[in-house]
Amino acid sequence: MRSLLASVRFAIVAAAQNFTRNLGVSMAGVFTMGLIMLLVGVTLLLTHTVDQVLARQESQADVINVYLKDSVSMRTIADYEERLRQDPRVAGVSFISKDEAVIIAEQEGEGFMQSAISTVGSNPLPASLKLQARSLQGLTQLNRIVKTYPITDTSTGHQTSYNPNVIPTLQAVIFWTEVVGWSLSALLAVISLVIIMNTIRTAVYIRRTEIEIMKLVGAGDWFVRWPFILEGMFGGILAAAFGTVIVGFTYNFVLEQANAHVFLGVTADGPFLTALIVVLVAVGAGLGGVGSFLGVRRFLHV
Amino acid sequence: MSLAAILPPPPAVRPVPGLRPVISFHGVSKTYPNGTQAIRDLDLAIYHGDFCFVVGASGSGKTTLVRLLIREEVATTGRIFIDGQETTRMPRRRLPKLRRKFGIVFQDYKLLPRLTVAQNVAFALRVTRPGQRHLREKVEETLWIVGLEDKLNKFPDELSGGEQQRVAIARALVHRPRIFLADEPTGNLDPDTSWGIVQLLLQINHRGTTVVMATHNREIVDLCRRRVIAIENGRVVRDEAEGAYLREGEATI
Repeated sequence: MRSLLASVRFAIVAAAQNFTRNLGVSMAGVFTMGLIMLLVGVTLLLTHTVDQVLARQESQADVINVYLKDSVSMRTIADYEERLRQDPRVAGVSFISKDEAVIIAEQEGEGFMQSAISTVGSNPLPASLKLQARSLQGLTQLNRIVKTYPITDTSTGHQTSYNPNVIPTLQAVIFWTEVVGWSLSALLAVISLVIIMNTIRTAVYIRRTEIEIMKLVGAGDWFVRWPFILEGMFGGILAAAFGTVIVGFTYNFVLEQANAHVFLGVTADGPFLTALIVVLVAVGAGLGGVGSFLGVRRFLHV
Repeated sequence: MSLAAILPPPPAVRPVPGLRPVISFHGVSKTYPNGTQAIRDLDLAIYHGDFCFVVGASGSGKTTLVRLLIREEVATTGRIFIDGQETTRMPRRRLPKLRRKFGIVFQDYKLLPRLTVAQNVAFALRVTRPGQRHLREKVEETLWIVGLEDKLNKFPDELSGGEQQRVAIARALVHRPRIFLADEPTGNLDPDTSWGIVQLLLQINHRGTTVVMATHNREIVDLCRRRVIAIENGRVVRDEAEGAYLREGEATI
């Protein structure tokens, strides 16, 4: 126990000395790796945000709005609503009045609706039935049926909001965003591993006499390794902290700005950001440790 | 005063049949990857309490012999035993334990310039026996043995060459090794200082530690009259109990 504590203390003190003795090299390594961590963070957050935007679209894709003629009575609409509700392919139906349509449009960022209405003098948006299907296949069939309903507005050319291409396209986009995001992150991780390895090699080179003596008097391999591994882990954590702080602030700022201009339907995802920071710091420590292990290996084989 | 008066008498321990040597080489050869054959079919036995010089010209194989002893090099063929253990096929993880049997000093001291004398000596214990109790006492006692008890807090570059070598000796001695290995310890020192170092090694030997010293220093070898193992082209050409640097009657330059 006593000897273990002494070993741990020796490793920590030696790691701290390593780090500060060649502070220039250490900081250059930390800074470079920090930039890479920044890129990894940006890539992962970007992937996540795109995913979120697309997932929101996808969740809406099994819903169609059936636009209704203005002239149809509420009673008739209620009949058809009931008839749809009986259909086994239907998961839910809700009626959206003309006024509600305006509110929804405004929520989705079309802030000019009110002024448009006052200019035109009447509300141009149609009432609609919001129809949620149980399956995408059912959606296609339902779409065909509701188009033939007499209450459906045929004057504009698109009776419903149905778009047959949207689902496969969305899925492909989500898939490729993830593939590109993750491969880019993996590539960046490998680069930072190489950077850590070289930083530690310099540290090892500076301490080569010490290592030689340690080996000569009979220190074990791990005793020699630990200080460098700790140094690498410390550098990795510092780099990750540096990268994620910048990423975190940028993420919140950019999303705020973006939402002010276009409606993404996505706000800053706090839990995801926290998880990302934790993961990046852990990955930084891991890369630092592994990089040091590899960097030190060559010198240990006396 | 004659040398015989100041030196401790040669130890009585001599190769006795049946006595197990501390160091033994059996048909050892070492060929480096570049094809150089540094050691050829070498047999050697050194017993506990021996003091022996290993002499030979540069390139004769002295350094390789030292490196084979501490398993910094692995013998190409043959077997080496240290303290009864075969080291030639010893797994890597057991090397630290093997090396702790040795105390080693070199021509170039290999002290850590940022550490004080006491810290340099303590370093060896910190590394091999973390959490060692009475560290300070052990360090001070060892520095007293080498005569540097008043230089504890000096840095290596504040010391003379001879003093630096004494620090190195203290560092090699502090963990009480079985075998003391000195590779050209006087190579950088003037004759008087060299004498001081050799007397220190004789003292260490007198306390019961086996000492092996590889050297070029003819004067010292001739004055000490201890066991001399002469190496030429990787072979033992002479092994005498009370030998001289050169063979009896060999030409001197």
